[in-house]
Amino acid sequence: MLVVMERIIWGIGVYLAVGVVFAAAFVAAGVGRVSPAARGSGWGFRLLIIPGTAIFWPLLAARWARPVIEPEESPPPVEPADEWVDPEKETAA
Amino acid sequence: MTNQFVWVSWNRHKKIYDAVLAAACALYLLCFVVGSFVFFDDRPDVMVMLIHATGTLAIILLHVILCIGPLNRLSHRFAPLLYNRRHLGVTMFLVALTHAGLVLLYYGGFGVVGPIHAVLFEGRSLTRLDAFPYELLGFAGLLVLFVMAATSHDFWLDTLSPRAWKGIHMAVYPAYGLLVAHVALGSLFDADGLIGRVLLAVGVAVVVTLHLTAGVRELICDASCWRPMPEEGNEKSGTGEWIEAGTVDDIPERGGRVVCLDGRERIAVFCYDGKVSAISNVCAHQNGPLGEGRIIDGCVTCPWHGYQYLPHNGQSPPPYHEKVPTYRVRVVNRTILLDPRPLPPGTPVEPAFFEAGPDDESLFEESGPLSDDSGPPPVAPHPPTSLSEGDE
Repeated sequence: MLVVMERIIWGIGVYLAVGVVFAAAFVAAGVGRVSPAARGSGWGFRLLIIPGTAIFWPLLAARWARPVIEPEESPPPVEPADEWVDPEKETAA
Repeated sequence: MTNQFVWVSWNRHKKIYDAVLAAACALYLLCFVVGSFVFFDDRPDVMVMLIHATGTLAIILLHVILCIGPLNRLSHRFAPLLYNRRHLGVTMFLVALTHAGLVLLYYGGFGVVGPIHAVLFEGRSLTRLDAFPYELLGFAGLLVLFVMAATSHDFWLDTLSPRAWKGIHMAVYPAYGLLVAHVALGSLFDADGLIGRVLLAVGVAVVVTLHLTAGVRELICDASCWRPMPEEGNEKSGTGEWIEAGTVDDIPERGGRVVCLDGRERIAVFCYDGKVSAISNVCAHQNGPLGEGRIIDGCVTCPWHGYQYLPHNGQSPPPYHEKVPTYRVRVVNRTILLDPRPLPPGTPVEPAFFEAGPDDESLFEESGPLSDDSGPPPVAPHPPTSLSEGDE
């Protein structure tokens, strides 16, 4: 049992080592493709997400490989409605 | 609220919080070191002392972290502690990591076998208590804390989805169990372990009691504001079955009230400037209770981390993108009626209006989806009465 546990720990180590290598490329070039809010972000933020990238690198690699999704347009400033049309009346008409 | 990520969104409160936290940790370590020299006759090994100091500090911080949530449910005076809890969590992980690093260095460094093998597996057995590898429990707990600390930035909340993120961070409870077992078993091998075991038992009792107390109080609170969910197909008016959600006088100006439906769904109802709006009680950020927040600068403001939503459409003000479901509301003679079926997140809904005076009998105001282009399209009108009746 302990032998199995030791092998699992080494497996985790190898997985994370691969993740760190991936993370170096991801924070340099891929993060902006995966998250629009990360575009133009500083190196402090990019260094901070390296550990998490090393954990979730298969997920992020899959997203990086997808076509770029443009960010959802910001909703326009909300103004009070001048008039509200009752949907029931509208349907009846 | 996510617009462009920065490494830390510093503000005055966070700086004070972190300064106090750093000072408290430094003071604890200093007291532990000085106390070890003063109160123990045998001059302690400096490395062993540091291992104990960082280990005890980490477990104390973990207890504090776990107490903050239920304390905040019991009294909003603890909200400032909750506000920056993530920094507290990352600090706790770094202290625990230092503890693990010192253990590996001291007990496993410079040997003929690797430090991990030497500390976790050398001469260990799962069947003998005196040789049980309790360090493995600590290692597993540390791994969980690592995942949580590594995903603490809002980037991960955005990337993994709030639901998955919350699920990951609920793993603090299994980690707590592993770490309590690690400390309890580890103290068996310590000559002065009795004090540690007693303090640990007190800590566990406090954490469990606070969680149970907060949970019972939440159940009582839910029962007081509970409303039965109307059955499907029981639509008499063509606009769905409306439920009463108290009166406008029950809700403070620019404040909220939580209505709990069957299935534990919670709706936050707000009164402001003679209007009533209803949105989901669950903040899109970390599931904070929006109904316990207030309207600040025209926005419903989450009491946990200050995420904001416009009350009539459940959208964060531009340039932010967070959205929560909205609900249709009516006010009839100052009684608030609520359509319990959630509209898609961000759907604009006309607020229901009410007059300041309580004697206006002619009041019958209803909210409905606005013809607003922002966010999801307004919902389709409910089936007219004749159709519903025809179906029956």
